[in-house]
Amino acid sequence: MRPEDRDRILVEVTSRITEHYTQLARGAPDGFLEELVNDTLYHEKLRLGTENPKDPATRRYKAFYAAMQRELKGASSHVLQRMVSDLARHFAQEVVGNFNRRVYRLSTRVIPVGLSALLGASSLPGMFSRPGDGNLLDRHLEVRGELDAVRALLGKGTLLVVPTHSSNLDSIVLGYSAFKESIPPLLYGAGLNLFTNPLISFFMRNLGAYRVDRKKKSRIYKDVLKQYSVCALQMGYHSLFFPGGTRSRSGAVEQKLKKGLLGTAMEAYVRNLMDGKPSPSIYIVPCTISYKLVLEAETLIGDHLQDVGRSRYIITDDEFSRPRRIYDFFRNLVSLDDNIVITYSRPMDVLGNPVDDRGRSRDPRGRPVDPSTYVTRGGEPVMDPQRDREYTSELARLIAQNYLGSNVIMSTNLVASAVDSLLRRSNPGMDRYRLLHTGGDQQSFPMSQVHAETGRQLKALGTCPGPRPILGDDLLSDDIQEIVSDAIRHFSIYHTRPAVERRGDRLFHMDRNLLLYYGNRLKGYRLDGQAASR
Amino acid sequence: MDQWVAVIGAGSWGTTLASILSMNQERVLLWSRREELCREIRETRENSRYLPGFRLDPSIEPTTDLERVCHSTRLLLLVVPSHGLRAVARTMGEHLDGEHCIVHATKGIEQGSFKRMSQVLREETCVRKLGVLSGPNLAREIAMGQPAGTLLASNFNEVLQGFKRSLHTDRLFQVYKGRDMVGAEVAGAVKNIVAVAAGVLDGLDLGDNTRALLLTRGLYEMAQVGVSMGASPMTFGGLAGIGDLMATCASPLSRNHQVGERLARGESLEQISDAMNQVAEGVKTARSVHDYAARNGFLGRLPIVRTVYRVIYEGMDVRQAVDYLMSLKTGHEMAELTY
Repeated sequence: MRPEDRDRILVEVTSRITEHYTQLARGAPDGFLEELVNDTLYHEKLRLGTENPKDPATRRYKAFYAAMQRELKGASSHVLQRMVSDLARHFAQEVVGNFNRRVYRLSTRVIPVGLSALLGASSLPGMFSRPGDGNLLDRHLEVRGELDAVRALLGKGTLLVVPTHSSNLDSIVLGYSAFKESIPPLLYGAGLNLFTNPLISFFMRNLGAYRVDRKKKSRIYKDVLKQYSVCALQMGYHSLFFPGGTRSRSGAVEQKLKKGLLGTAMEAYVRNLMDGKPSPSIYIVPCTISYKLVLEAETLIGDHLQDVGRSRYIITDDEFSRPRRIYDFFRNLVSLDDNIVITYSRPMDVLGNPVDDRGRSRDPRGRPVDPSTYVTRGGEPVMDPQRDREYTSELARLIAQNYLGSNVIMSTNLVASAVDSLLRRSNPGMDRYRLLHTGGDQQSFPMSQVHAETGRQLKALGTCPGPRPILGDDLLSDDIQEIVSDAIRHFSIYHTRPAVERRGDRLFHMDRNLLLYYGNRLKGYRLDGQAASR
Repeated sequence: MDQWVAVIGAGSWGTTLASILSMNQERVLLWSRREELCREIRETRENSRYLPGFRLDPSIEPTTDLERVCHSTRLLLLVVPSHGLRAVARTMGEHLDGEHCIVHATKGIEQGSFKRMSQVLREETCVRKLGVLSGPNLAREIAMGQPAGTLLASNFNEVLQGFKRSLHTDRLFQVYKGRDMVGAEVAGAVKNIVAVAAGVLDGLDLGDNTRALLLTRGLYEMAQVGVSMGASPMTFGGLAGIGDLMATCASPLSRNHQVGERLARGESLEQISDAMNQVAEGVKTARSVHDYAARNGFLGRLPIVRTVYRVIYEGMDVRQAVDYLMSLKTGHEMAELTY
């Protein structure tokens, strides 16, 4: 971010937050601001209680909040407004402060080289660049879909890329692919936990990422983050965020999206119109990131299967924090010659209307429509948060639908789903969790049965009504046996325990959680029978 | 913009709504496909075909020009029959933009696709600010000045406020606001099936207990269909649900009721259709809902719908039908009706 923008954004965010709460306080009962400040101090106190007390930052925070706490008693409304403003500036500074113009520009160039270095050249023959070969990511990253349409919009507005989220590698992979495909760097708010691993943190820092501390629960902090996103979009910084909010725990494609963050696109757009910006458009670019093997699969599904209410929003001790696992992951990517597939959908306006190559929105029948009319009355743009929340809900629905249509199903997903279906069919009525735990009555299935079920589900994917997934290259073969073997090979090589194992002409299910995880990628499609009803 | 409110469709309900709007000092554009109808209204201030005997205020301007209608106002009230709505919406779609708000007062579900009218509007136009008007609103009674009320449902405050201001009329027409468009639309369509059944009971000279049982369980089935599509069950206890059901089933003159009575007399669907020269909405809806529920595996929870379907389309004897319904196992009254 340019230094002048950095200062501007700080002032803008602080004043907007202060203005917002001052407005709210006018319509609210007495004590609204006091409660707001008090609530922030309370949440911060809880958070600081879990931090290392000797850490200088923690001590600074404590002193700052202690002074505020003293002032809070009997503070006038004028003082309270100032305190809200102080808190907003304090948080905004923390978020903004992590920018470094130089690394932001260099970031994407550093990553692939860094990755190769991280993995160690000597132990991985063939992984380093050979002349004309490109580096690791060049060779194992495949970009599909409406990339030309996305590129055509550069210069016509600001891009907001909203991908599916299965792995902490997503942002690295996506950031790099954007660079490679001549899409400008994307601004990205990354959770603080991604910075804890010293090796990874270097690359994260260099991705144009600003730090988001998800341990900070206060309302003001969350509003600062949102308003920061609004301001950055308004200033024309192409951005990236994961609307699922966190990595998909179940392995399924996200169908419930976080509307708070998504809503910042609409707000930025309306503000742009009100400011009379020459190119006010914000373009939403949904995309999916598909892996044949997911780095953190074991941890994610494990977390999912715990009581859903207790699932951890922030996981800090997963495979991503273990360099050895990352190393294995990439080694397998190379040795199995797999691709990570990024599929871009057609860009949309902030209402979810598809946008053509000239940046014009189209209605459901393909007629041009001016998106600004959705937020104007008598031609004048009008702020209406209730209206915009509805628009954002619809946008979220359309993004989720797009995900289903651009999700790539690979052999691991298909075969896991097939075996999982066989499992449930051979144990009718058995509780889901018990089945996962015990494996039911049958330890294994004849290969012929696995082949038949795999073939059936493959056919169902290709013919189901409603959105259909894209089939990975490994599924285009007519040879079902080859597809199943390919999945078995993958399952045997990376995870701690193979999901399935072939012995003679039978297939044994070993890690049923993994079967559920990979198979869940087929969830959401209207396949007949059991595959759809999970 | 906004010096007009438009009503699209000059049937009896559309014309009545235009009349209500004119009482609220709105200048009303009333669109009809038929030039001769427009001429009649312009010259005689009466819609003799659909609302005979009622004088229409001079502030109501009839027109056949859909483009002009769309360009004159952003508040559009759509009151065309369910089978014609898609075509009208598609034509309107040429002249609409994101500022427009459309509220429809069409009670029906699209045959074949089983789409709600608001879904059809969403597919055929760029308009997002949609709403539904649904309630116990027999047009003639309101035209005669008898008090009535209705539900206006929309996700957008702007739609609720804009149309409530234009439609709510002291001493005549109460407009309640709501969010549940799906519930309002499903209730308005599915109640017609229950109305056919109510006609059958009357044709068989069965009494008030039987009718109350039918209406209550019919309402439950309406809610089942609604909830399966995302509606709130509460809506069915409101004006668009039980309210509309009571009014519809109480009126022996409604087409649905007449079909039921004729079925009770042993007439076949062909005979009835020939005699009535227009098929009642409930007859079509019975098939749509039956097929939809069967496809989605909950037909077993809709015994009344299933029985009406069998009587109409499979020639089931009406007395047998009543016996069949009365011999069903009963369980918890509100079983499986969860939101």
